[in-house]
Amino acid sequence: MDARSRRKFLGLCLGGLLAGAGGAVLYPLIRYLAPRRDGSARRTVTFPAAEVPEGAAKFFEYNGKTAVVIRQKNGALVALSAVCTHLGCVVQWQKEKEEFLCPCHAGRFSAAGQVLGGPPPKPLETIPVTAANGTITVG
Amino acid sequence: MNLAKRIYTWVDVRIGAGALVEKELTGYLLPTNINVWYSMGSILLFIFAMQVVTGMLLLIYYVPDADKAFKSVTFIMNEVPFGWLIRMCHAVGSNMMVLILLFHMLSVLFMGSYKSPREMNWLSGFILLNLVMGISLTGYLLPWSQLSFWATTVATNSVGAVPVVGPYLVEFLRGGKLVGPPTLGRFFALHVAVIPITIAALVGAHIFFLQRTGVSTPPFGLQETTNRWLGDRYRYESHPGGIPFFPHYALQDLTSIAVYCALFLGVVFFDPYIFFPATAFVPADPFQTPAHIKPEWYFLPNYQTLKLFPSEFLGIAVQGAAMTFLALLPFIDRGQEKHPLKRPLFLACAIGGIVLYIALMIWGHYS
Ligand code: HEM
Ligand code: FES
Repeated sequence: MDARSRRKFLGLCLGGLLAGAGGAVLYPLIRYLAPRRDGSARRTVTFPAAEVPEGAAKFFEYNGKTAVVIRQKNGALVALSAVCTHLGCVVQWQKEKEEFLCPCHAGRFSAAGQVLGGPPPKPLETIPVTAANGTITVG
Repeated sequence: MNLAKRIYTWVDVRIGAGALVEKELTGYLLPTNINVWYSMGSILLFIFAMQVVTGMLLLIYYVPDADKAFKSVTFIMNEVPFGWLIRMCHAVGSNMMVLILLFHMLSVLFMGSYKSPREMNWLSGFILLNLVMGISLTGYLLPWSQLSFWATTVATNSVGAVPVVGPYLVEFLRGGKLVGPPTLGRFFALHVAVIPITIAALVGAHIFFLQRTGVSTPPFGLQETTNRWLGDRYRYESHPGGIPFFPHYALQDLTSIAVYCALFLGVVFFDPYIFFPATAFVPADPFQTPAHIKPEWYFLPNYQTLKLFPSEFLGIAVQGAAMTFLALLPFIDRGQEKHPLKRPLFLACAIGGIVLYIALMIWGHYS
């Protein structure tokens, strides 16, 4: 074998070994750092209906994100994602006006999640909600 | 390729990278009879870097709170993907660091490299040894296991033998009368901030001294093995006609690091619990001392010495004297000769000392 192709071959072997070693370091490292998922992705959340009286809002965690349930003065129950569609702050419920205000850049949403004003580009995501036997079930 | 070259030229004409490489790497000449023991320092740098990286990774999940520390370590071991690997690398690495540090010191001893003008190199290395023992001792408490708790109780307690201020010193170290949550707070700060930064600074000083003095010539394979520095003026020990650091000795360094990795990963994958007695897996209980609490292997000689002497003060004093002697060795041993076989008194003391150290370690293990 001529010395040059031998040198190239050895270089390739070394490169391969180094790449393998790099992978063996990177893979565990990425797995170690990757966010952990708790298996039950699609869960429902329940709580007593008494926790959401007329005109009130209740914030809770749903699927890893912040959500809100409100009971309007007319008795209607609405569940929404509370994450503002602009830059991700959590919207606040304004009881008297019956609308949501995002304190970050003054985005406004109706009780149904529709954009009323400000920078948010999209309505708040709605989440299915039911009430039966004094229990509210979200999801 | 062409682009890489152009970037290199761009940098070179600005900061003289090529001249630097020529001076510090390819033109940095080492003695032709240099040997593998001169690569221990590179292995130590590698281990320290590994400890820093794995330590930072552990910090992501570790919680330094007496109520949560043990649980968080268990979580790392059992739940976090590859958490066991990171933790085992950190724990096994700490033991390896002490081991290689001892090898490094022994090679310096036997080759007489501590002799003038390298006293400052020796002293900085000696302080590093103490800092590494300190970082290991403080890290040992962090998992908050029975082993952590009681080993720290015993270790901090022995400081109480210092005359007059002893009892106060113990309380100060612990942040209370006994080991407890305040101890964890201070040991955590020492372990992850104070001592690592101090080690990094001292490593810098250690390498700076080496750079200024030049690498020593090993005493093997030469006729003339005496130290010819007269102490009258500064002299850089150059090695004209020697072998270049890059690529020749850099390859030796890499080889040594690779051999070290094989040993290290062998322990991590095949026998990681060699350094973990059963008490390491039980959460700390301040009301119940388990049987057979022993320190890590490298503290066993100290442990056994303390047990041997009738008074704790004597035990501490003897160890203090031995450490002081070791620290001041270059000022005590001022002979010109560097070859170990031509230094019979040194050789007898060194071998006697090593045998004594190992004997005390084994005795401590079985006692
Ligand atoms: C910046 C550097 C370092 C950081 C951030 C760090 C961080 C940590 C953390 C968070 C722990 C607790 C988790 C565990 O017990 O496994 C720990 C444990 C430990 N560390 Fe470090 N460390 C560093 C450097 C070192 C060094 C240089 C050594 C020794 C040479 C060392 C020796 C130890 C020991 C002996 C333990 C206990 C191991 C065990 O029982 O699992 N650490 N370290
Ligand atoms: S984040 Fe809500 S308005 Fe900007």
